[in-house]
Amino acid sequence: MENATLPQTVTYTGASLLFEVLQQHGVEHVFGYPGGAIMPIYDALYDSDVNHFLCRHEQGAAFSAIGYARAAGKVGVCFATSGPGATNLITGLADALADSIPIVAITGQVPTGAMGSDAFQEIDVFGLSLACTKHSFQVSDVNDLPNVLHQAFAIALEGRQGPVLVDIPKDIQLAQIETTLEDFSRLTNKVKLPPANVGSAIALLSSAKKPILYVGGGVGMANAVDELRAFADTTGMPSVSTLKGLGAINPDDEHYLGMLGMHGTKAANLAVQECDLLVAVGARFDDRVTGKLNEFAPNAKVIHFDIDTAEINKRRAAHASILGDLKVNLPALEIPLSIEDWQSQCLAMKHDFAWRYDHPGENIFAPAVLKEISDRMPDKTCVTTDVGQHQMWAAQHMQFQDPSDFLTSGGMGTMGFGLPAAIGAQVSRPYDCIVAVTGDGSFMMNVQELSTIKRFQLPVKIVVIDNAKLGMVRQWQDLFFNGRLSETDLSDNPDFVMLASAFDIKAKQISKKSEVTDAIEEMLDHDGPYLLQVKIDAKENVWPLVPPETANDKMMESTHE
Amino acid sequence: MNNYQLTIKVDDKQVVLERILQVTRYRGFLIHGIHAEVNTGTQLGTVVLQVHSERPISLLIDQINKLIDIKEVKVDNDVTAQIVG
Repeated sequence: MENATLPQTVTYTGASLLFEVLQQHGVEHVFGYPGGAIMPIYDALYDSDVNHFLCRHEQGAAFSAIGYARAAGKVGVCFATSGPGATNLITGLADALADSIPIVAITGQVPTGAMGSDAFQEIDVFGLSLACTKHSFQVSDVNDLPNVLHQAFAIALEGRQGPVLVDIPKDIQLAQIETTLEDFSRLTNKVKLPPANVGSAIALLSSAKKPILYVGGGVGMANAVDELRAFADTTGMPSVSTLKGLGAINPDDEHYLGMLGMHGTKAANLAVQECDLLVAVGARFDDRVTGKLNEFAPNAKVIHFDIDTAEINKRRAAHASILGDLKVNLPALEIPLSIEDWQSQCLAMKHDFAWRYDHPGENIFAPAVLKEISDRMPDKTCVTTDVGQHQMWAAQHMQFQDPSDFLTSGGMGTMGFGLPAAIGAQVSRPYDCIVAVTGDGSFMMNVQELSTIKRFQLPVKIVVIDNAKLGMVRQWQDLFFNGRLSETDLSDNPDFVMLASAFDIKAKQISKKSEVTDAIEEMLDHDGPYLLQVKIDAKENVWPLVPPETANDKMMESTHE
Repeated sequence: MNNYQLTIKVDDKQVVLERILQVTRYRGFLIHGIHAEVNTGTQLGTVVLQVHSERPISLLIDQINKLIDIKEVKVDNDVTAQIVG
C-alpha cells in the first residue's frame, strides 16, 4: 500500500520534460519560431497540450510573450532556435528587462560537443544574455533541467520582475532523464527585505503642505492598484503618473493631474516642480520623467517606495525609503492630510491647462481621434502602442482603468513593439477588445505579424497614425536640428489598406475629420481584425515638450490658437 | 576619481564572474585589479575587485547585489583607505 503513494518515476527527454514543467507553471500559450537546434522541443510540442503561436519573426514572438505577460499578469514564454533565432530575441529581452516584465525565453543551442567550434547557427547567447536578462542559464546536464526551469519561473516573478533565458543544447533536449514531478525543487525567494520603517515617512507626510503622489509602473507589477487608490483617496494627494504607471490611478480621480515628464501635462509638471514632498511609488526617476535632474522638483523631499533596493538613491536621494511589497507598505502610510489649499491650486491648474481639441482645418487631429477611440472603446479594452508621436498622443489622450490595459515600450522605447504585443494581449484576453495604436514607421518594423493575426484570426484592431514620416525624429529635427530633415521621410510606404487585405484583414483609410466617428464605430463593431489608417498632417507635433536637459517647468507648447 | 576594494562572496554558479564584470563595467566602474576563486568545485566562490570611478560605490554594491548568485558584497574599508591614501 505504501508503494502506491510513492511518486512514480517517469522517463522524459529533456524536450518532453520542458512541457511538463511549463504546464506545472500554468503555461497554456507560448510564442515562437522553430529551427534546427530546437527541433526536439518542437517535436515534443507535437504531443503537448501547450498552445503554440507561430510568429513570423523571433522578435515578434518575444514581444507577443511580453504582451501576454503584461495583459494577463502571468509569465510569458517564447521559443527560438540557436544563432539568428536567439539573436532575434535579444531586443525583446532588453525590452522586458527595461520594463521589468516576467518572461521566460527558451533557446535551442547547438549540441554540447559542437559548442565553441563556430558551428552552424551557433552564437553565444548565454554571453549575450548577460546584459539583457535578469538571469540566464545554459543547461549542460539534463538532470539539471527541471530545477533550472523552476528557477527560471521563480526568478522571473520574484522581487522586481524580469526576463530569464534558458539555453538548451540539442543533445540535452534529446537526453533522457528519469524523475518524478514531485522531485522538482522550488527556489526560495531571495528577496527578503526587513520590515519597512515607516516612522520617518509618516513624519514627512504629516508635515507636507504640497505633496505629490508620483506613480510608476511598479504599482501594476505589484498588483497594488487597489492599495494605491485607497492611499490616494485617504491622503487626498494630487497625483501624477509615469508612462508605465498609466491606469494605476483612476483617470476620473479629481486630484489626478495626468502624465508627468517630457510630454507630460502642464499641470502635472508644474505641480511636481512646486511640490514640497514627492511620494514616489514604484517609479525610478527616469530621465524622461525628470528632465534636467538637478532641477527636478527642486523643493521636494522624497519618500521612495520600491521593491528594488538599487533604485533607492540611484538618481534622486530619498529622505525616507520604504522597501518591499507595495500591497503591505502603502496602507501603512495611509493617513488623511490637510492640504486643501494645495488641492485647490492643483485643481485650478488642471482646469486651466486641460487638453484642447479645437483644431483648425479639415485634417485629422490625432489627439482627438485617440480620445474618441478611448471614449468609445468597450470596458476592459487593452491598448498597445509602438514608439513615437502616436505613443505620446495615446498616453496623453486615452484613458485606462488599469495598468494592464495600456502596454507600451517604456524603458527601451522599442519601435515594432505594438503589433506583436497586441497579439500576445489578445491571446491572453480573448474576450477583451485589443487595440494596437501604431505609427507608419513602427508598424513596418514588425508588419510580418499580420500573418500571425491572420493565421489565428485574432480580432486585433490596428490604428495606424500615418504621417508618412518618422514623426518624433522629424519633430526633433525641426525643433533642435535646424529643420534638417535627415532620413525621416516615409512617403514611399506601401498602401496599408492593400497590405492589410493581402492578409485578409479588413481595412479603411481616412483623412478628414468628418470621417472619424463612422470609421471608429465600424472598426470597433467589426468582429475580426481591422486596420484603420488615419492620415494626418506630417507637421503635427507632440505638445507640450520639455527639451532635453531642461527643467520640466520650461516646456515648449503648441502654437495653435 | 575614487578607488575601492570589494570582496564579493558568490554561489559558485555558471559565469558568475562574467556577470560581475559586466555589471561593473556597465555601471561606470573601471577595474584595476581582480582576484577570483571560482569554479573551484565548492559551493562558494570569492571575488576581490579593485575598482575606481567618480560614482559612489553604493551604486555598484546595489547592482552587484541584484545578481542572482551573489551572497554578500563588502567594501574593504581598510584597503580602500590605503588605495586612496
